[in-house]
Amino acid sequence: MTRKPYRAPQRWSWWLKNPAYRRYLLREATALPLFIYALVLVTGLYRYTQGQLAFTRWLEALQAPGWLVFHAVAVAACVLHAATWIELVPKLLVVPGISGRSIKRGHQVAALIGSALVLGAALVSWPLAGGAS
Amino acid sequence: MRQERADIVIIGGGGAGLRAAIAAAEADPSLDIALVSKVYPMRSHTVAAEGGCAGVVQDHDSLAHHFDDTVSGGDWLCDQDVVDYFVRHATEENLRLEHWGCPWSRRPDGRVNVRAFGGMKIERTWFAADKTGFHILHTLFQTSLKFPSIRRYDELFCTDLLVADGQCGGVQGIHMATGETVALLAPAVIIATGGAARVYRYNTNGGIVTGDGMAMAYRQGVPLRDMEFVQYHPTGLPGSGILITEAARGEGGVLTNSEGYRYLQDYGLGPETPLGAPQNKTMELGPRDKVSQAFWHESQAGRTLSSPRGEAVNLDLRHLGEARINERLPFIRELARTYIDVDPVHEAIPVRPTAHYTMGGIQTDGRTATVMPGLFAVGECASVGLHGANRLGSNSLAELSVFGRVAGEEAAALARSGSTPPEAALLGEARDNAARWEALRGARGTERLADLRNAMAEAMEEGVGIQRMPGAMEKTAATLRELRERYGHLRLEDDSLAFNTEWLSAIELGFLLDVAQAMTAAALARRESRGSHQRPEDYPTRDDAGYLKHSLAHYRRADAPEVAWQDVNITRSRPGERLYGGAARAKADADAKEEAEP
Amino acid sequence: MSDSIAIYVARYRPGQDEAPTEQRYDVPLSTDLSVLEALNYIKDELDPTLAYRWSCRMAICGSCGVMIDGEPRLGCKTFLREFADRGELHLRALDNFPVERDLIADVERFMDHLETVKPWTVHNSERPVSEGEYRQTPAELERYQQFSQCINCGLCYAACPQFGRDDSFLGPAALTLALRYNLDSRDDGSAGRMAALNADEGVWRCTFVGYCSEVCPKDVDPAQAVNRGKVASTINYGLNLLRLARGEHDT
Ligand SMILES: Cc1cc2nc3c(=O)[nH]c(=O)nc-3n(C[C@H](O)[C@H](O)[C@H](O)COP(=O)(O)OP(=O)(O)OC[C@H]3O[C@@H](n4cnc5c(N)ncnc54)[C@H](O)[C@@H]3O)c2cc1C
Ligand code: SF4
Ligand code: FES
Repeated sequence: MTRKPYRAPQRWSWWLKNPAYRRYLLREATALPLFIYALVLVTGLYRYTQGQLAFTRWLEALQAPGWLVFHAVAVAACVLHAATWIELVPKLLVVPGISGRSIKRGHQVAALIGSALVLGAALVSWPLAGGAS
Repeated sequence: MRQERADIVIIGGGGAGLRAAIAAAEADPSLDIALVSKVYPMRSHTVAAEGGCAGVVQDHDSLAHHFDDTVSGGDWLCDQDVVDYFVRHATEENLRLEHWGCPWSRRPDGRVNVRAFGGMKIERTWFAADKTGFHILHTLFQTSLKFPSIRRYDELFCTDLLVADGQCGGVQGIHMATGETVALLAPAVIIATGGAARVYRYNTNGGIVTGDGMAMAYRQGVPLRDMEFVQYHPTGLPGSGILITEAARGEGGVLTNSEGYRYLQDYGLGPETPLGAPQNKTMELGPRDKVSQAFWHESQAGRTLSSPRGEAVNLDLRHLGEARINERLPFIRELARTYIDVDPVHEAIPVRPTAHYTMGGIQTDGRTATVMPGLFAVGECASVGLHGANRLGSNSLAELSVFGRVAGEEAAALARSGSTPPEAALLGEARDNAARWEALRGARGTERLADLRNAMAEAMEEGVGIQRMPGAMEKTAATLRELRERYGHLRLEDDSLAFNTEWLSAIELGFLLDVAQAMTAAALARRESRGSHQRPEDYPTRDDAGYLKHSLAHYRRADAPEVAWQDVNITRSRPGERLYGGAARAKADADAKEEAEP
Repeated sequence: MSDSIAIYVARYRPGQDEAPTEQRYDVPLSTDLSVLEALNYIKDELDPTLAYRWSCRMAICGSCGVMIDGEPRLGCKTFLREFADRGELHLRALDNFPVERDLIADVERFMDHLETVKPWTVHNSERPVSEGEYRQTPAELERYQQFSQCINCGLCYAACPQFGRDDSFLGPAALTLALRYNLDSRDDGSAGRMAALNADEGVWRCTFVGYCSEVCPKDVDPAQAVNRGKVASTINYGLNLLRLARGEHDT
């Protein structure tokens, strides 16, 4: 008397079955535009080494509507990626003393506002201090 | 038929079975231990225990107090040598669980915390929030994994003990995934199959708690002892019977009737205690039999509430506040919100008594041995003599470890020295049994399984419930006889082998019917009122001259069980009046005075 | 709200069916009926051949996990009222496990994984019970308490595509159990559990889908445990490198 269990194969479309999987794949997919964006930046750097003209052409090329759309997508992907990672931080970090077990929503918001303030302060004070002159 | 051998077979992977397995493995690592269970061990119903596990720890407490509470709580039907052994070893076993990782709730200084429980004079109930049984069971299960000599047979459903020449030599069962019969031979067998409250319609037990081990032993001539004593827990959810732990009252919850009145003060448990200041053995912390019986009287007087799933009273926790409820009773909050949509932080929980615990069981001595050589029993399926006529909450979890260990050690000793009865005889018996079960699979009779089960459960509520009336009891006995007869004509739709759960339920129903008959016969035979066995109409008082005795139900096949009697072992506590609340304190003061002025 | 609801159950009878097929049952609708109670109704009144597991019916024994409309959930903690508007729901055995019959999944693999992480306390020096308990403050208890709430229901395995792809992955609950003991102030056995965490089948298989934590009926948050396991594994790796550099043996 043997068992005859049924094994459902995992299909390529497994991730379509469930919103949680779709969200996961979307998060993973954000890597693609970010990767392309990195390539674009590297190209820019390369053009910069080729002289003023090459660099300006590169900049102009980026004005094309297609590239503008791409940048919008890249920004969105970046924000999404950042948001999902901030969501996930509490699963990695336990800050002793601050939270018994894990980070709560309040800490995340506080951290975001905190970093925005620091960044803002840096941006404002940099030219004041005579930076980039 | 598959044949296997082991040195010890343990039927049951609940708290008792696991503790026995570990004890046997520790006693002698060379022994081959088979741990058999019809569900994965951590699904056993020990998992549902909420409130806590007794063991004396506080300086102002003493073993003598625990002894007295247990014996008087059991209405003097406890074997006192057994109670003595129990109270001396309970704390040690709780500590062992602590060393194995059980997450007991703690005091700020890191020591183990204890809470108040019904019928206990001083707080001595260890707890892991309100999931004590869950944590004990998982701790035991996980600890058992480190012993290679414990071989598990998960989802093997035992159907019979294998007996030859009056000696137990193994068990047989059905491998649930394949339907195959397995004969498992061993010189020592421990039954640890848990209770049988599923004979009732409304109960706090899981679907698997069907008295299997009790019936298997009973059918082989081992008597079931004190089966008339079935505990109704005062606070189950109406309808489902899901338990709201006594710890809810231990933490300060109060019971009120439809008039908002704390009615327990009218039933010898008063005077009323202030809200938020519960007093041991008083009001809501009275013993379960008395608190459940008070509900019955309130119901007769028309002072219960009607809830969508039946009559109820209110269990009010609101004054405890959200923080304390979350810390001490988080599971209760989850259960009440999920199953009746009541948040105890804001509303009272409707509750009613539901069948909960079988004080009786397979008769054993104080070392868990039954009258049959080679056979031990432990845990809720056994009657070791600890609980008498009424169990105190939190004594039974402690019983699992204290006597589980004893059973494991005794079985190990026997397995090393003992012999198995003739193998051919055992296997011959196994083949006969298998043919009988084969005939039941897909049986072509006329009776529906669900009808019989429901009729049994209704009959038990009617006749052998909180209060037992002579006419109703007789009627239940007759109904059970009739159901036994109809059981012979079952019609089962499923004749397959793999996970044929209809077949297994039918076998369980057979077990349940035998156990129900034993309960009813013993209830009829005990012509007095004691502990959870109350006969207000014909025998309203306790009768020590006639019935300070254990009942022993003997199996008589088609006939009604025969009830015999066994003396209770009384060492130092003579039967007295059970006093709770103010009366108990007055008596204690008087005693103290008497002692002071000789 | 109509007075009955259609429950489609994926049925599989080994030896008889090649693959599961759905069968429809109409069950009277009452708002406080759980999916488990509906199955019991089907078994008692409509079709006794239906097979499924259950016991406690109070969300603590972990027996009754099934896929309900494609989501892994406990039958006894899910209520028909949720599906009343649609008038139907679909049940099948837990995903990612072989189906033994009807709603019964073969969870042996999961049980093996629990054992692999050595889920028992190890003490460097065994203290006799007569010396009392190991002290543990409420704060120390709180560090692992959440991870000790797992009822082994296996829902997180049904939610995990990595386990679905290759069931040698130890998976959420087993890795959580490892962390539960590693975080326990009474335990000295972390080192012994690191091998399992570091292994191929250990924490690094996890790609942080996070769905396991969403479906967990006991708020255990296994994804948190697994990913804290990655942190621990990284630190362990670093320490081992350091030891190696100093010429000590790998542990
Ligand atoms: C809701 C609830 C709350 C409780 N709370 C408390 C409390 O707070 N404090 C306290 O002290 N007590 C409490 N109790 C009582 C206590 O939990 C039980 O008495 C105790 O857990 C029983 O343990 P056990 O090991 O004897 O049986 P169980 O845990 O029921 O285990 C029985 C085992 O036997 C196996 N088995 C049964 N039949 C077969 C068969 N035919 N073949 C193979 N295997 C079989 C089962 O699979 C299972 O593994 C509570 C009980 C309930 C129901
Ligand atoms: S972690 Fe949650 S979902 Fe996974 S087995 Fe444990 S209780 Fe179930
Ligand atoms: S039946 Fe126990 S968890 Fe659902």
